[in-house]
Amino acid sequence: MTAPIGAVAALASQAVTPTAAVAPPGGLNAAAPAAPTGGAGFANALGGALDNLQAVQSKADTLAVQAATGTLKDVHDYTIAATEASLATQLTVAVRNKAVEAFTEIMRMPA
Amino acid sequence: MPLFGAIGVAGTGVTVYRKWLDAISDNISNINTARPTSAAAFQARYVVAQAVTSPDGTGGVQVGGIAFGSAAGRLVYDPQHPLADAQGYVRMPDIDLGNEMTQMIMAQRGYQANLAVVDRAKDAYQAAIQLGRN
Repeated sequence: MTAPIGAVAALASQAVTPTAAVAPPGGLNAAAPAAPTGGAGFANALGGALDNLQAVQSKADTLAVQAATGTLKDVHDYTIAATEASLATQLTVAVRNKAVEAFTEIMRMPA
Repeated sequence: MPLFGAIGVAGTGVTVYRKWLDAISDNISNINTARPTSAAAFQARYVVAQAVTSPDGTGGVQVGGIAFGSAAGRLVYDPQHPLADAQGYVRMPDIDLGNEMTQMIMAQRGYQANLAVVDRAKDAYQAAIQLGRN
């Protein structure tokens, strides 16, 4: 059972790093030095995820317009793109919620 | 492998089976298309599937090309036909309706199977996203 616990601990340690990354945009500059390595990494990852979400959703939008105008070649092209867009949105929202949750958890700590 | 790779791969499969269904419908719709004996018969269309391999591990399938059936077709004696030659023959396509119907079942089932993969993959990814929520 030590391995699963170790895995959870590793995840937990990663969860702390994102929190520090979230903190600087919130104006807590004092917290920034506490995350010397992970800050840019999480910001980049989140930015990349948002770019990816943007691309997936614009693809689904393009295909939706094609479906409305009758130029859509494959029905499943649109439905699959819409499914991927929905999944990507859910994933991004889940990551965002987790980051905010971790941040508020830290803020709740007694000073 | 991109994010949600299974959905994309299954999507390529759906596309190939859709094209196969298109080819079958073309064959069946032209099964009685007569031509004069001086011309080539309507040639059945066959979709040639080809596996996709790319370095990043993204698999899938694509239509590698279209193969055509016999151009000679079969000669049918039908002297009343406006296209019949002096001996009363016309050239009909060499397409077997039973064979086309069998292939249609295969294409339809393949189409459904790939869409089932999309559906299950969506459920699996959603379960992963739900992990740890509350």
